[in-house]
Amino acid sequence: MALACVAMEAIETRGLTKDYGARRPALRSSRAAAPPALADLDIAVHAGEIFGFLGPNGAGKSTTIRLLLGFLHPTAGGATVLGRDIGHDSVGIRREIGYLPGGIAFWDGLTGERVLDELAALSGRPSVLRATLLDRLELSAATLRRPVRDYSRGMRQKVGIIQALQHDPELAILDEPSEGLDPLMQRAFYEILDERRAAGRTIFFSSHVLSEVERVCDRVAIVRAGRLVALEDVHSLLARRKRDVELRTDGPLPDLTAVPGLSDSHTWPDGHLSARLEGDVGPFLAAIASAQVTDLTIEPARLEDAFLELYEPA
Amino acid sequence: MNGALFMHLWRANRGRLLFVSVALLGWGTVLPVIYDAFGAQFRQLFESGAIPSQFAEFGGGDIFSLSGSVAVGFIHPIAVSLSLVFAVGFAAAAIAGERQRGTLEVLLSRPVSRRVIYGTMAVATALFVATTTGALTIGALLGATLTDRTAELGAGNLPLLWLNGVLLFGAFGAVSLAASASFDRLTPAVGVALAFVLGSYFLEVLGSLWPDAAGLQPYSLFHYLDAQADLAGLPAARDFAILGAVIAAAVAYALVIFPRRDLAAPA
Repeated sequence: MALACVAMEAIETRGLTKDYGARRPALRSSRAAAPPALADLDIAVHAGEIFGFLGPNGAGKSTTIRLLLGFLHPTAGGATVLGRDIGHDSVGIRREIGYLPGGIAFWDGLTGERVLDELAALSGRPSVLRATLLDRLELSAATLRRPVRDYSRGMRQKVGIIQALQHDPELAILDEPSEGLDPLMQRAFYEILDERRAAGRTIFFSSHVLSEVERVCDRVAIVRAGRLVALEDVHSLLARRKRDVELRTDGPLPDLTAVPGLSDSHTWPDGHLSARLEGDVGPFLAAIASAQVTDLTIEPARLEDAFLELYEPA
Repeated sequence: MNGALFMHLWRANRGRLLFVSVALLGWGTVLPVIYDAFGAQFRQLFESGAIPSQFAEFGGGDIFSLSGSVAVGFIHPIAVSLSLVFAVGFAAAAIAGERQRGTLEVLLSRPVSRRVIYGTMAVATALFVATTTGALTIGALLGATLTDRTAELGAGNLPLLWLNGVLLFGAFGAVSLAASASFDRLTPAVGVALAFVLGSYFLEVLGSLWPDAAGLQPYSLFHYLDAQADLAGLPAARDFAILGAVIAAAVAYALVIFPRRDLAAPA
């Protein structure tokens, strides 16, 4: 039994598809060219990892999250969250998770404290992490006694993060969690995520901020027009991306034809080379070791570039 | 029914409930007092022919008796407007309003099924309607006591009147809540609910004042509030059954439609 729990995926989707026009043929015919909001999504989020879910607006991120939470019904396929089927045990799933919606809204007349109390009561689980989270996100007792309508966007986001995590959920689903947080609070939030991961909890979050995904995520999935275009760990994704290389030598350029991953190479008679390099830089460095290198620039691998490469028109 | 959600709804609405209840209590109290003070003059006025006799039958009763006056008071625009604060205002906003504000997201992310959310809001609507209708009924008793006409009112039958009123405004509440469960925005939900109530009211008033339109009255839910018969201890079981059937149909519709709806991300 214990082995089964360890092996269980936190989230697993199988051909998950959502087509908003499928149940309304008239609408469908008027949108004949519109693709499904989500098509054949197959992902597995391992228990205990931080999983980033990336894509531009309209790519299907929110649709996926809403399908997992039971807000939407799949047109085809299915999914399990913490081993529970999204079609049959949505309430059971929501008992085990914490959720931060994008652009979260609260009952504005209530104080922050009342909002957290009422949402904790609705969750039915004690708020074991609230004090810690309040401290880490610097929300004071005086602030919590004010009505939410007086809160800035950042303060609302902090309350949103706390309500999602205060009951120490097995899985937290966070939609654009760092929006509105200042850099210091973003750092505090990343540390909170690291701690949750260390405690064996799973974090699934969507984001537009690629630097934060790169900073905190173990693996990422990238969706485009409702389809999965990449699913791998962040380091592999970075290693695969093509980086711009600039090389200047005092003398002739070395022979680089055998260097794996080198492409788009341009050379000039004065010992200047520009190229794109994919994968391990070791063979490239070995190939230029005998040359009189005067300048070498290998652009750092960034998730943003990998992301943009995946979004280049086919 | 979810206790935590119910307490949330209660805390959010108790001030408004107190205000509306006090207003309806006052209105209910005034009716017997007006009858006691001006009943005889009203009778003379109508008998003089200065006012068409149909006006005396507004509300399904004669206004020359205490029970008839109370009956008119129950469907007077003032009482109806106050009662609709919860039957339409609260019920139509219960789900569609939360959805429009974005707070339904937070509710639905808790381990509470949509049916339970709907059921809790339906219970809250019923409780609020029962309380406001109770205030109106108690007001009528208070007014009758102040004018020493308790026996004339048939006070022992007031619970029947209360029940009939709860079923009427409960039916409007159920229809409003069903509309609320059907729309993503508040405006269409309130629009559908108000159109239903106003249409119903129009048919009842038209049938009261224009004999040729009397055949339209059965299509109005107000037609099934027969306060005089209730106070006489002779309620029509058919009236109660029809109002109960409307409530049951609206609840069944909402219980089917709400869990099946796709709730896409707010625009």
